[in-house]
Amino acid sequence: MTKSHENYRELVMRIAKTDFKLRYHGSALGYVWVILKPLLMFTILNFVFSSIFNYRNSGTPYYPLELLTGLLLFQFFSEATMTGLTSLVAKAQLVTKIYVPRWTLVLGSTMNAMFIFGMNLIVLAIFFAIYHKVPSLLGICLFVIYSLLLYILALAFSFLTAPLYVRFRDLSTIWEVLLSGIMYASPIIYPITIMPLKVRTILMLDPVAFIINYSKQGLINGEFADGLHFVALFLGIILAVALAFLVFRKYEKTVAELI
Amino acid sequence: MIKTVGQNLPIAICVKNVSKQFIIPHERVSTLKGTFVNIFRKNTYEKFYALKDVSFEVKKGEFFGILGRNGSGKSTLLKILASVYTANKGSVEIDGLVSPFLELGIGFNPELSGRDNIYLNATVLGLCEKEIDAKFDSIVAFSELERFIDQKIKNYSSGMQVRLAFSVAIHANREILLMDEVLAVGDSNFQSKCLREFARYKEMGKTVILVTHDIGTVQRYCDRAMLLRNGEVVKIGTAEEVGNEYIYQNMSDEEKRIVDEQKSVDKKTIHTAGESNMPEEGKINKVAEITGVEFLDKDGKVKNVFETGEDIVARIHYNARKRIEKPVFGVAIYTQDGVHLSGPNTRDSGFVIDSIDGTGYIDFCIGRNRFFTGRILFTVAIYDRECITPFDFKDKAYNFNVISKEKNQNGSVKLDISWKKK
Repeated sequence: MTKSHENYRELVMRIAKTDFKLRYHGSALGYVWVILKPLLMFTILNFVFSSIFNYRNSGTPYYPLELLTGLLLFQFFSEATMTGLTSLVAKAQLVTKIYVPRWTLVLGSTMNAMFIFGMNLIVLAIFFAIYHKVPSLLGICLFVIYSLLLYILALAFSFLTAPLYVRFRDLSTIWEVLLSGIMYASPIIYPITIMPLKVRTILMLDPVAFIINYSKQGLINGEFADGLHFVALFLGIILAVALAFLVFRKYEKTVAELI
Repeated sequence: MIKTVGQNLPIAICVKNVSKQFIIPHERVSTLKGTFVNIFRKNTYEKFYALKDVSFEVKKGEFFGILGRNGSGKSTLLKILASVYTANKGSVEIDGLVSPFLELGIGFNPELSGRDNIYLNATVLGLCEKEIDAKFDSIVAFSELERFIDQKIKNYSSGMQVRLAFSVAIHANREILLMDEVLAVGDSNFQSKCLREFARYKEMGKTVILVTHDIGTVQRYCDRAMLLRNGEVVKIGTAEEVGNEYIYQNMSDEEKRIVDEQKSVDKKTIHTAGESNMPEEGKINKVAEITGVEFLDKDGKVKNVFETGEDIVARIHYNARKRIEKPVFGVAIYTQDGVHLSGPNTRDSGFVIDSIDGTGYIDFCIGRNRFFTGRILFTVAIYDRECITPFDFKDKAYNFNVISKEKNQNGSVKLDISWKKK
């Protein structure tokens, strides 16, 4: 077949940059929304749930920090999967009118979520400073690793679903609903400790909930997942990546005809 | 296999037995529920072959045209060459990077400014940021969109979009250009600019593949061409041959019959020409004879197809066996239905020919022809000075075709018209 593109890195970055530019274009506040949106969400949730859980008495003295950390991670995942899922359809003009290796479109689209997450981490750092909380080095390292794993998971999901979304447009609606399910099934607005042990075990089978729980626990309370569970998570994600790779390779060929 | 003898250029594109099939479900399922419901029902669909067993080769530095009517598979083929589609069968080998220009655009994002779209698309075509920075002014200059470059693409007219897209596509500097109907939108000024650019590409040894249904462009600029019909290759050959074949294919059956008759008449004339000493019907005294008519464009190139508005020169070759004083040449122009459109002669036009002797030719020039799409039949005669007795009279023996791009008038002749209402 045709000799393909020779400059993938530049291409992916250009797609990501373009998306970033388009993300808030036409809005008065523009990029300020990158930081403002999670902050507003945080303020509302914090107001509502702080009054429900009396966190100072329920063993979560840093509830606002836990909430913000969990929220940022979840929004990162949600944004990455949503844009990844719709990436091929949203960039139909780059699929049907020109040849670009399709994986660059999926990858480039999801990277936007990474930019936004990166900027939000600055806000998170400021909050940690306000609450006079210094996380341990191990906690920070694990947080970075968990964030990367979460991104890889989102990528696997995107590669799996992007070519399928071309065929079944209901996937985006289904995923939107599922995302809100995932949000409430993850310990974001509530501390995991309020759940009975049995439920906790079941919840931790969800990799997103697992990652969110242990990355914020590691940062704030110095609690870590045991090694076996971590390895299981790691293998699970690798499996997801392999599956996504196979599905993507099979279905990407006919994408241009079906869009 | 198409191999021109004596032309051992390396092959740029080699397409072998390519077939492309589209499956068109009778009721398109694009929801999950639909799929579940349909698992138990037999799915009815049609298989549609957009391309059937297409094979051809294009050499490096060649300007190759792909002709065909709407739905003949031209664009599908181009998309396969650009790897947007994957062929079901067969192989495509391309030596070199391809710069495609499909469906009047190269993937612009309407929400982005012209500037951002240039950067996006040039990157897609493999340029790095530094190269784009360096070429940016030249890209903008070629598209003539300096004033609009920071506006969003959605505010551009289709012509402006095409200009910008084309400009980016040619600046990508790739070895092979795939062009789909690029000339259909831009104004004539831009079209000629495009064609000049193509010529420059050719000089640089690059390959251009042009998909169009405009025969004029193909015959003027392509070295070779291919005619597709219903997904199959009808003919591969020189642009002239393929263009003529295309015109023939596009005629209605009635028109074909006339042309076929014409051909057999032509053969007969050639036949009788062999025994030219035979007196014909007594009336015609073959002291002088018309030996042939060629049709030329303004550059002096022999053509058989002209566009409305082009200059046409009919070169009438004669052979006078003895000296004839003050002969009169006359022509009569007919449509293919035999309607007499015009009948000028040299005497009425005030063009005096002192004498003719031996062989020679007379040029009959039509400036900016006003014929409409169709075949024009041409009668030529040589008379004596009184314009009564013809030495030779070739009735509707010659013809050429006219193609009109404008569709706003019907009939045989294009007039300068306007409408008014009181």
